Amino acid sequence: MIITKKRDMDAILDNIRNYRHVFLLGCSECATLCATGGAEQLEEMKTLLTAQGKEVTGMFVAKTGCQVLGTKVELRQHAEAINAADCILAMACGAGTQTAVELFEDKPVYTVNDTLFLGNMTRLQQFHERCSQCGECILDKTGGICPVTACPKGILVGPCGGCKDGKCEVSPDVPCAWVKIYERMKRIDQLQEFCNTILPPKDWSKNTKPRIRNAKETKESP
Amino acid sequence: MSLQEALESGKFVVTAEIAPPKGTNTDEIKHLLDLYDGRVDAINATDNQSAVMRMSSLALSKIVLDHGHEAVVQMTCRDRNRLALQSDLLGAHALGIRNVVAMTGDHVIAGDHKQAKPVYDVESVQLLQMIRSLNEGRDMMGTPLKGPTGFYAGAVVTPEANPLEPQLIKFAKKVQAGAKYFQTQAIYDITMFNIFMSHARKMGAKVLAGIVVLKNERMAQYLNDNIAGIRVPAGMIAELAAAPSKAEKLETGIRMAARLIRQLKEERICDGIHIMAIGMEERVPEIMKQAGLLSD
Repeated sequence: MIITKKRDMDAILDNIRNYRHVFLLGCSECATLCATGGAEQLEEMKTLLTAQGKEVTGMFVAKTGCQVLGTKVELRQHAEAINAADCILAMACGAGTQTAVELFEDKPVYTVNDTLFLGNMTRLQQFHERCSQCGECILDKTGGICPVTACPKGILVGPCGGCKDGKCEVSPDVPCAWVKIYERMKRIDQLQEFCNTILPPKDWSKNTKPRIRNAKETKESP
Repeated sequence: MSLQEALESGKFVVTAEIAPPKGTNTDEIKHLLDLYDGRVDAINATDNQSAVMRMSSLALSKIVLDHGHEAVVQMTCRDRNRLALQSDLLGAHALGIRNVVAMTGDHVIAGDHKQAKPVYDVESVQLLQMIRSLNEGRDMMGTPLKGPTGFYAGAVVTPEANPLEPQLIKFAKKVQAGAKYFQTQAIYDITMFNIFMSHARKMGAKVLAGIVVLKNERMAQYLNDNIAGIRVPAGMIAELAAAPSKAEKLETGIRMAARLIRQLKEERICDGIHIMAIGMEERVPEIMKQAGLLSD
């Protein structure tokens, strides 16, 4: 899921300092699991804004905030409240925020969250980055552990000289990705493959932004 | 004599490391180059070591070369993408530099520009492959060059890494990618180093043991606690602690370094040493003398 974190309230208030009427838009997917854009957080935001003299004209938790057409349909029933608002506060990720930007061309939209990474929830409200969306997966070569993401240097050929007792030079709290890959491949009987493989440098042309994917196309998009 | 000739001649080779200045003034560098005249076989210029911004290793290598020393340019993958690395390698060759040591490079978070974007477009093994390709007259895309490079490529290794096996596997990949010699992380324990050397000898690469002089027991403990792959044995720490004064602790550290070097040489454990003086450059001639490497 996409991991988000609420920004400082001061920064949020500063963004909307010129607007009094606000519509709140949340998301029932990742932002709800991150406690940054669920019904509960929208209520909290409403209370905070009201205390600051703002008026919340309405609020809605979209089913999937990054699904533009679905969100458009869902928001029809809130047209009046959105019309009455001077701006929209998006309590979602950067993508969900831009759904609102796309749907409401004449209205300012501000995000409430910083979007951090694509990761997994390993324990309640605890998230770990797992995928860098590099565009060319190498998990099949690395025992299923991503060095592009799990190694702060994103290096592709074994541990660097900064590995100390299986931990990373960046922080003793971070396990060395390449030691994990080594141990995992040994455990699943792929040590020989670990020894024999020198991955080539990544093809970053696969990461040229903005990327577009049309899954309907029969031909692979470039 | 080139570094390659020195290593292949079978002599016990000495390389020393110099950090470029943080600034443009090279007076101190020139003093160190004078100090090392006739005493070392080659001088490494470090590349923004510990991710602290300094003069480029390429520029310092040229200064080293102009002074009459054999120069080794250190190249990390932290600050340059594959275009910049290749163009700097072509430039280094054009300036007369023939030795390059490839390394991944400390993360920017260790340094003085923590907000910088770390690059790591390639890492040490891939950089060695790149150097081999340039030596063969092609860039890494296979496009022919107007004039190949002629680098003697080296790399670094941590003989006492924990865990050791993945480090040894990476070592083998560096050899496979064209590394002909290795300068190691600082070593103190001959027994541990011998275990590594028994592995390294099978790979056929030359090994220069890293030497860092211990100034006192606090420094030794700091290295053990904070620096990856350094293990100062308890006996050495005790020996430093037993010395009564600051000056005597330093003399003890120098004696221990000289003793280690002497043993490495006399027992032909490795092919030479790589001295990382870290502020102790003035004492290097004396350490070498105590170790039996200098007659004067």
